Amino acid sequence: MNILVFTKRVAATQEEELRIRDEGASVDLSKVPFKINDWDNYSIEEAVRIVEKTGGTVTAISIGDAESDEVLRRAIAMGAKDGFLVNSESVFHDPGVRSRLIQNFIQKENIPFDVIFTGVQSEDDQFGCVGGILGAVLGLPYSSMVIGIDAVEKDHMIIRRELEGGLQERIKITVPCVLSIQSGINEPRYVSIMGIRKASKVERKVFKAADYAAEAGPGIEVVQWAYPEKKGVATMLTGELDVVCGQLLGILKEKGVFQ
Amino acid sequence: MSYALIIAEVRRGVFEERNLDSAGIAALLGKEAVMLLPDGAYQTGNIADTIVKVKVGEEVFLNPLNLKNILEKVFTARGNPDVIIFTHSSFGMESAAYTAGAFGFPVVTDVSGYDKERGVFLKSYYSDKIFGEFKANGGPVVLSVRSGSFKEFAAEKTATRVEEIEGVAPVEGRTFVEYVEEEKADVDITKADFLLSVGRGIGNKDEIPAYEDLAGKLKAVLSGSRPVIDKMWLPKPRQVGTSGKTVKPKVYLAMGISGAFQHIAGMKDSECIIAVNKDTEAPIFQYAHFGIVADIHKVRDKLKEIMG
Amino acid sequence: MPEQTATRVLTCIQCGKCTGGCPESGKTPFNVRMLMRKTQFKSNIEESLPWYCTSCGACTIRCPRDVKPSEVVIELRSKLVEDGEIPVTIQKALENTFVQKNPWGRSRNKRADWLRKLDFEVPHVSETESKRLLFVCCIQAYDPRCMVIPVNVARLLKTGGIEFGVLGEEEACCGNEIRRIGESGLFEELQEENLGTFTEYGVQEIIALSPHCMNALKKEYGDTGIEVVHYTEVLAKMVEGGALKFPGSFEKKVVYHDPCFLGKQSGIFDEPRSILKAVPGLELLEFSRARETSLCCEGGGGRMFFEVESVYQRNAEVRVIDAGKRGAQVIAAACPFCVMTLEDPATEKGLIVKELSEILMEVI
Repeated sequence: MNILVFTKRVAATQEEELRIRDEGASVDLSKVPFKINDWDNYSIEEAVRIVEKTGGTVTAISIGDAESDEVLRRAIAMGAKDGFLVNSESVFHDPGVRSRLIQNFIQKENIPFDVIFTGVQSEDDQFGCVGGILGAVLGLPYSSMVIGIDAVEKDHMIIRRELEGGLQERIKITVPCVLSIQSGINEPRYVSIMGIRKASKVERKVFKAADYAAEAGPGIEVVQWAYPEKKGVATMLTGELDVVCGQLLGILKEKGVFQ
Repeated sequence: MSYALIIAEVRRGVFEERNLDSAGIAALLGKEAVMLLPDGAYQTGNIADTIVKVKVGEEVFLNPLNLKNILEKVFTARGNPDVIIFTHSSFGMESAAYTAGAFGFPVVTDVSGYDKERGVFLKSYYSDKIFGEFKANGGPVVLSVRSGSFKEFAAEKTATRVEEIEGVAPVEGRTFVEYVEEEKADVDITKADFLLSVGRGIGNKDEIPAYEDLAGKLKAVLSGSRPVIDKMWLPKPRQVGTSGKTVKPKVYLAMGISGAFQHIAGMKDSECIIAVNKDTEAPIFQYAHFGIVADIHKVRDKLKEIMG
Repeated sequence: MPEQTATRVLTCIQCGKCTGGCPESGKTPFNVRMLMRKTQFKSNIEESLPWYCTSCGACTIRCPRDVKPSEVVIELRSKLVEDGEIPVTIQKALENTFVQKNPWGRSRNKRADWLRKLDFEVPHVSETESKRLLFVCCIQAYDPRCMVIPVNVARLLKTGGIEFGVLGEEEACCGNEIRRIGESGLFEELQEENLGTFTEYGVQEIIALSPHCMNALKKEYGDTGIEVVHYTEVLAKMVEGGALKFPGSFEKKVVYHDPCFLGKQSGIFDEPRSILKAVPGLELLEFSRARETSLCCEGGGGRMFFEVESVYQRNAEVRVIDAGKRGAQVIAAACPFCVMTLEDPATEKGLIVKELSEILMEVI
């Protein structure tokens, strides 16, 4: 089975206090470190595990700036055979633009595949759309939130989708197809720096994104960036025990975890 | 014809409460609300102007490939809507994207706000640290809306029309097999929405059953900090912290946990942290959204008393 | 395994001196002598075993054949790291260090936050005349409990009239634990980055706050030409020369715990003691196992990120019980790892753990 896995290099913002610049026109990421998108890490691991069993190859593809080569090296260190960089210095906020770029790239370059993996979403924009749009424009069956792959056959796969509240649904999907992989599907292996250094010796092909740009412009645009409404410091609940405990239960109800 | 098409989520015969958020944003947009539903006997409430029931089972309806074919029929019959609204759930995330791709419509997901004056949708970036204000170029625009963001705007309609349309033949590319309950061999605290976490402050092992009881009443999962696990008052898989598990529940209720750094690192990204501790100076209060300075056993007993 | 290590292991005579000094052998499934035996025969070693080692170095010091068992353990871990088969908490610590240059994964941009707790400015090392750098350490830069240590030491150095500077956000993890976890590639990257920074700013001397950082910077960064000392060495000289005086008094019985990387691995036993002895009112006690035979707290060598099955009694608890028996009220340590591991059981038994600088702040 030949699997294409899309992998993205994202800003590791979890610990950062982000600042908006230029009167809302951009977000300052200049001092933020970058890393592989968490969901893509699970996707690569899953793909590698499948080809280890069924044969075939994993090809990692990244759309991004030159620095994105880092996530390709990492994917190769994990077991991908090839790494393709579709180089673009601009950020695509519209997942539609991204998906159509991928569609054009795969079709123009005639890249063979049985299955395409994307992460359910990327940590930065959290759109969760590239896989779905790609499935639709390629006219292929699609599933997101894939939390388990139970069987891999020549013409179909049996997979599990994560639903809400500990429920899953098992579905049958024909191959070729597009799957968006949910975090937690596996435990991704550790990729050592030595491993990445060795992987650097595998040549990564670079393509120019401009060659595959879609005719239609973006369907959505960011007008400006904004901060969320301020969460204050801890609100202390004070007073009689009855009152305080009543308030506590009220908060639990409001948060939807207690009826 | 100007209308908002709500793709309602019905799962295992239950009309999901988060559909209220879809109705809410439709109302906020000032559109006539047409709600699309699968066949079945369930209560929806009068939150749409028109309910369109499709004669297919929910497992057919909840499949984005079938939904595309259903939507084609709807668009042919009623014209394109101005906006197509999904819940931002496992179903909505999948189907919003697929629908947008299939019809070439613009899409914004995880919408948690709408600025009526400027006509922009608010969408989370970087785990809610920043929000993008999005505008669609043309339409219809496909949205998936965040649960809890718009339900207050969902208005009770005086007259809801109910229509029925014929179903579609299910596609073969993707078919439903069965529902699976996640294995519950051992509780996975990283998956819980609500954690009741106890620390050294509980005093001794004999207090554990009383907290298990409280967790049961609250429908919370019981977890603990390192000292509690060390003493084997709770099993290792229940440990929160750098040497245990990193958790991000909706609510993290910490009782008798002072907030050692290694513990904080494992829970600080929880959506809502509530700390109960007798020590005003406990570091956990620096990370909590709500704090109670009190004897945790008294709080425990009082909570149980109130809940009955 | 590198040939050099393999050859060394072959000279092992299975005398068992390593096991005799090991803080893990005997109470856990870990047995250093057995590991050396299995390595000699290239037999299969159960994957969880190498992670028990705390890198205290006792085995290497005691070994009559210079097998360096603690280094062999690093090699065994190295193989697991290369295969990607490591405990998930260790994996997280390594990935965090790769991205944020500290194992907690806290923002690198917040590494200098502790400076805000000072009532005076500390210059960047490049702006100092001495080019003397205070190297802070990941624990003390971020952990709210230990953040007070650099604050205290900065004040003490200033009081004693010693000029120093910091690197702030430019400081990266020293890599001491990273190397011991077996991730040599990441260690090299950290070493390269820190050395680059030292060279860029012309650093001449480093005062390390943590014995672990001191170890890496002094012994494992190669020939840097930079003098590396632990802060207690500097303070001891200041006390001796009269630059640092203690007008107050600390009327308590204090037992001093020798951190492995400061004591048995670096031979710094007397400096912390001489400082404590100079504190008026303080009665200095000794553990039954002190100096070279000091019992490891089990915080090092990656153990901060990996919990073994907790059916074994923690050494920290053994330590606290011994301190109690000796009549101590306070356990003093000069290492953030020791402070963190000892504090839990001490609090439980009504004893106080103080980092050495915390005692000094009460008497200046």
